[in-house]
Amino acid sequence: MNNAIKRQLKRSAKRSSLYIVLAGIAFIIIFPIFFLFSFSFMSDYETYSEWPKPLIPSFKANFMIDKNSEGYHLLIFNKSEDKYMPFGPLVFTNSQEDIDNLRKFIKLQSNSKITSQKIMEYLKIVDSKSRVEFSIKKDLLANYILFFQVVNGAPKAVLNSLMVAGATILISLTIGGMGGYAFARYFFKGKNILKLSVLFVRMFPAVSLAIPMVIILAKMGLYDQPLGLSLVYSVGQISMSIWITASVFMAIPVSLEEAAMIFGTTRAGAFLHVTLPLALPGLAASAMYSFIGSWNEVIAAVVLTQFNPTFPVVVYKALVGSQGQINLITAGSVAQALPAIIFTLIIRKYIIQMWGGVKV
Amino acid sequence: MATLELIDIAKRFTKKVWGVKKMDLKVEDKEFIVLLGPSGCGKTTTMRMVAGLEEVTRGTILLDGKDITDIPPRDRGISMVFQNYAIWPHMTVYENIAFSLKLKKMSAAEIKERVEETAAMVKIGELLKRLPGQLSGGQQQRVALARALAVRPKLFLMDEPLSNLDAKLRVTMRTELKAIHQQTNATSIFVTHDQSEAMSMADRIVIMKDGEIVQIGTPDDVYFRSANMFVAGFIGTPPSNFFNVECEYTKENISLKHSHFTLEIDSMKFQELGKYRGKEIVLGVRPEDLLIVPESKAVFTAEVLVVEPQGSHQVVAINLKEIIVKMVVSAETKVKPGDKIGLGFNIKRIHFFDSKTENRIVFKGGV
Repeated sequence: MNNAIKRQLKRSAKRSSLYIVLAGIAFIIIFPIFFLFSFSFMSDYETYSEWPKPLIPSFKANFMIDKNSEGYHLLIFNKSEDKYMPFGPLVFTNSQEDIDNLRKFIKLQSNSKITSQKIMEYLKIVDSKSRVEFSIKKDLLANYILFFQVVNGAPKAVLNSLMVAGATILISLTIGGMGGYAFARYFFKGKNILKLSVLFVRMFPAVSLAIPMVIILAKMGLYDQPLGLSLVYSVGQISMSIWITASVFMAIPVSLEEAAMIFGTTRAGAFLHVTLPLALPGLAASAMYSFIGSWNEVIAAVVLTQFNPTFPVVVYKALVGSQGQINLITAGSVAQALPAIIFTLIIRKYIIQMWGGVKV
Repeated sequence: MATLELIDIAKRFTKKVWGVKKMDLKVEDKEFIVLLGPSGCGKTTTMRMVAGLEEVTRGTILLDGKDITDIPPRDRGISMVFQNYAIWPHMTVYENIAFSLKLKKMSAAEIKERVEETAAMVKIGELLKRLPGQLSGGQQQRVALARALAVRPKLFLMDEPLSNLDAKLRVTMRTELKAIHQQTNATSIFVTHDQSEAMSMADRIVIMKDGEIVQIGTPDDVYFRSANMFVAGFIGTPPSNFFNVECEYTKENISLKHSHFTLEIDSMKFQELGKYRGKEIVLGVRPEDLLIVPESKAVFTAEVLVVEPQGSHQVVAINLKEIIVKMVVSAETKVKPGDKIGLGFNIKRIHFFDSKTENRIVFKGGV
């Protein structure tokens, strides 16, 4: 009896310590990403004037307008100090110009929008009651909108990125899909070695191949062109497509195709009528994988583009060239990372299957 | 309907591996042929060659006298039921059955009529709107059957269609398949490794081994007149018992000497054993042809090892030093392990095989 309890205790201690370690690892991985997201929603004031940083950005900003003999004062509630602090111009009057400046300052520093009329109303209340407190809903996406407004060529870079990704998907899925089908359906000598060797092209870091790539693409007239970049990405993505689609096609029994051939289709018809519809989710996953690979790639893109950069290059340059405004950069980074994260979540089932058929 | 002729066909997979070494077979119109053999004997390969899913290495396949050896499967006028059913999971039952009809450009009304008629025949009329994933194994089997029947094929191929079903359903489907065959009269080839399935369904059974035909014959032929020891040992549950005996020939009778017994038989009836004088031959006895007799009349006595009751009958295993002999006795017979029993043979139904070639020794006087 005593022994049983001891054993149980031992087991739960083992369990607990395992979970603690796992939670620690998860924390180390997740926390920076979480902070990235959190920062991207913060206003300048939150980013630079409050410490410690809140885990979750606030959804509104609280203000107070005060008045003394010199004129009006604007104060903002600082959560870390837990009191109202001076915000913006020390003193302002109720002239149209001052109010307009105040409105712009509030928008820029706290991501909150207020109209001039509203400020006038508040000032009138201050005149009669000596102080007024009010809160404004924060515009959470302000950083994102601002990023695309202020960073040079960001919208066009997104378009470039989408074009590169689209072409990469097209090339890698057609060629990789055909390769994958062959690996799934046919037996030939050296099949396994060949299947492994298609991964060899992924062994070389892009930087080490940068100069030859630039020269070759320039000779082809594809330097600084989305198509050129997508060709470079396709080299790596084709091998991944082969592996993913091969596992997809292998999961579809040959007899389904054979039945189609007996019941009236050609070989190609059997593929079209039976295999393709069944493989579609898997092929979509493979396409998404290519998308992620191409969307996230930055090193080759830095080397191979000049006036037509892709989005990650723009984000990278904004990060390198920026002085402060971290919240703005994080907004760009999140905009860059989000599609890849979403697609990864969608296709995770197929990625795991590819490496050994464990079902999630 | 149709006749099928396989002339000297062979299939070679790699240099040394032959799927089918040599095969000649003529299937008559409306006939139900079963290809039977242990796994790896080439029966499925043969069927796939007939279907056109496997190229032949050598030989000719004639369907209704027309050479179909190099014709793609869709133009052969055949249909097939696969071992794993192979019904398309992304189509409803209706679409599965209608698939080939649509490709034949039949009108929608005709297709509907044909599908409903066929579905009713295999009793899945109410399942037409379902997807295969929502069906049980037996129902999927019926869908595969309906799909194959709907095309009204010249030749109907079935590749171990019942092997994925549970034992009880298998026996039911067996009966239904046979009834459907009687109804449609389609020339059919059925592949199986289950000899009781073959015996119960076939007009003729083709027994194969190592890529060659061992015997072609009616169920009675292969059971009572097994061509060689392989067939005698493959057909029947339990299979035949074999005794190596020495053949001593005198004018009046032949005495067959086994280490446990000596069996005297009439030399007139078994004249052909003359050339085996003094040599060793194999005596084959079906389990039901071993009889329990009073010890005074017994050819030999032995001790019962195990009794396996089967309900309708019992299987009794007897230990004879080097071999275990199995016999079938009626359910009423009272035996228990350890009993000493006297045994005799049903002389009319014993077989002899050449110990070298393993082939049956045929007697003019019958048996």
